[in-house]
Amino acid sequence: MARAVRNRAETNWAYWSFITPAFVLYLFVFGFPIILSFVLSVSNYGGGKMFGGDPWSLVGLGEYFKLANDSNFWLALKNNIYIVLISVLGQIPLAFVLAYIIFRKIVRWGEGWQAILYVPAIISVIVLGIMWKMIFASNGLLADIINAMDTQTFLTSLNGLLANGLNVTDDFVTKLLAISEPRALTGFTNPLAEIKDLILSNGYTTQNLDVFRSDMVNLLAPKWTPDFLSKQDIAMIPILFVTLWVWTGMYIIMFHANMQKIDTAIIEAARIDGASELQVLSHVIVPNLSGVLANAAILCIAGSLNTFALIWAMTAGGPMNITQVLAIYMFQNAFIGVPNFPLANAISVFIVLFSFILIGLTLLVERRYGGRE
Amino acid sequence: MNSWKTAVAWVGKGMAYAVMGLFSLMTIYPVIWLIYNSFKTNAEFMVDKISLPKEWILSNYVGAWTLGTFDMLIGNSVIFTLVSAVGIVFISVLAGFGFAKMPNKATAPIYGSFVMGILLSITSLMVPLFIQVSQLDRMISDGFHALGMFTGHDVHVFYNTSFGVILIYVGSGLPMAVYLCTEYIKSIPTSLVEAARIDGATYFSIFWRIILPMSTPIATTIAVLNVPGLWNEFALINIMVSDETLKTLPLGILRFNGQRSVDYGKQFAALVIGMAPMLVFYFLFRKQITAGVSGGAVKG
Repeated sequence: MARAVRNRAETNWAYWSFITPAFVLYLFVFGFPIILSFVLSVSNYGGGKMFGGDPWSLVGLGEYFKLANDSNFWLALKNNIYIVLISVLGQIPLAFVLAYIIFRKIVRWGEGWQAILYVPAIISVIVLGIMWKMIFASNGLLADIINAMDTQTFLTSLNGLLANGLNVTDDFVTKLLAISEPRALTGFTNPLAEIKDLILSNGYTTQNLDVFRSDMVNLLAPKWTPDFLSKQDIAMIPILFVTLWVWTGMYIIMFHANMQKIDTAIIEAARIDGASELQVLSHVIVPNLSGVLANAAILCIAGSLNTFALIWAMTAGGPMNITQVLAIYMFQNAFIGVPNFPLANAISVFIVLFSFILIGLTLLVERRYGGRE
Repeated sequence: MNSWKTAVAWVGKGMAYAVMGLFSLMTIYPVIWLIYNSFKTNAEFMVDKISLPKEWILSNYVGAWTLGTFDMLIGNSVIFTLVSAVGIVFISVLAGFGFAKMPNKATAPIYGSFVMGILLSITSLMVPLFIQVSQLDRMISDGFHALGMFTGHDVHVFYNTSFGVILIYVGSGLPMAVYLCTEYIKSIPTSLVEAARIDGATYFSIFWRIILPMSTPIATTIAVLNVPGLWNEFALINIMVSDETLKTLPLGILRFNGQRSVDYGKQFAALVIGMAPMLVFYFLFRKQITAGVSGGAVKG
């Protein structure tokens, strides 16, 4: 009896000594900060010494009302919802279809495709953000690729017009104008006459057609300059694209691994009964994986509501706040310029509550419509 | 009829290959583009961003390495990543043993709070965390000053110290790791623990001799999954240190993100230096990473 009591006391003591390191650290990093963020969000704390410095007190929900009337906050929320949507409705379906193609062995080298598509997820989003910023820049790679293709198309059409040598007639110039960039012609009052004069006065001959070609490319070929950062919504397109680009590979691996747990006999039976691949996908695979899909959606929501580093590297929320998201807006209120800790903490509380609401909704949808496993 | 069906199947296969090929190309080409452009001169890059370099030069790397103080950044990243990963693994196996094999009324609420914590992102808590850490330092500082110690300068225990960074890194990795360890250790037969108890072994010797060795697979998974996240971590280190000698690779890379920077060569080289270690890590541990991701153990 005494031994059992001693045993229980020892188990109890061991239990606490085993879980305390984890629990204390958990409270330090998650528990206290959550409480602190709520307390500070209803206070007028100015950033000085918390105890023994300038007095501060709890003043109520004022900061939340301020947020409700803050157009920057609503813009950040809207942009953030775009990111949640592209994650949940972009990454997951895309990854699901690609995982299915690999799973059904419609293509070979399944493991190779997965290995390639996961690469972005392993690289720092700071590196990737700077890289994509350079690709989407007005003089970046994307512009160069598209302009190179446009120039090629223009040259092919031009060569068609030059099939019988250079013959500067009204008809030739009209056709030339038809393949030209309309914006390049806006500088002319009468493009037909003026460009004809220009060509004639430069003395191009059939012998130096290369010069003529390159001059026409410079003057008239379609030219595109990306200008994503000039307007709201449009400015989010590169960020949404990169979000999709970075994380889709991870969900492919997750879905593919879980598809492999499905009994293949069911799928083969359905196929023999005449079901198409699409029907197998929608009637067998999706219902079997509804739990995994809900999990993926939850991970997506939790991750995308907190997106920070990628956008920090790409645009830092600018220009003029048009790519603002919640985490960056929170960061700016706390660490840039005059700190507004109560407002920053109100945003922090909002992000936590909002993610729990969205996750709760996801679970409800899964419970209501999900298949039975 | 049969040949018609075969034709449809072939077209479908062709489309599937086209889709996979297109997505793979879009995934890998930007990364390869980044790598080969890091070997171009600035002049060549300005004229032609698309082609391979006419002449492969290494001077971008030499310049970026000295300009970026990469030896220090990488040294810090290695220390923070390794110590934090080991810390996460060790502390979560400890807690997992407690939760899984020692019945206690406290398990339901405490373990439950860890599982809830998986859904919390540390990014959303960076402001209160920063305030907490800096206020703790002030209190400790004031305490020492009141005792007449270290007068004349502030004492930092948590903010701007390696200790503080590692503490926060370990804490932020714990919810997922504790969950994975607890579920794994539950599958170790309880009879092993009970038999050892009857033989008079203490819980600590059971931990060292049975639980820790048997948890090697999950410990490896947790370590391998946490390393990329710790190595690439940006949001926290960005606010937790201001001292140049404590900065890590992502912070150093960001210095090359200047709007005014026209030194593309060095910028590209810096980005390649930034991603190379994790590409090597991926190459070495792809199997383990894939296995961990399959279980949904990484947050996107």
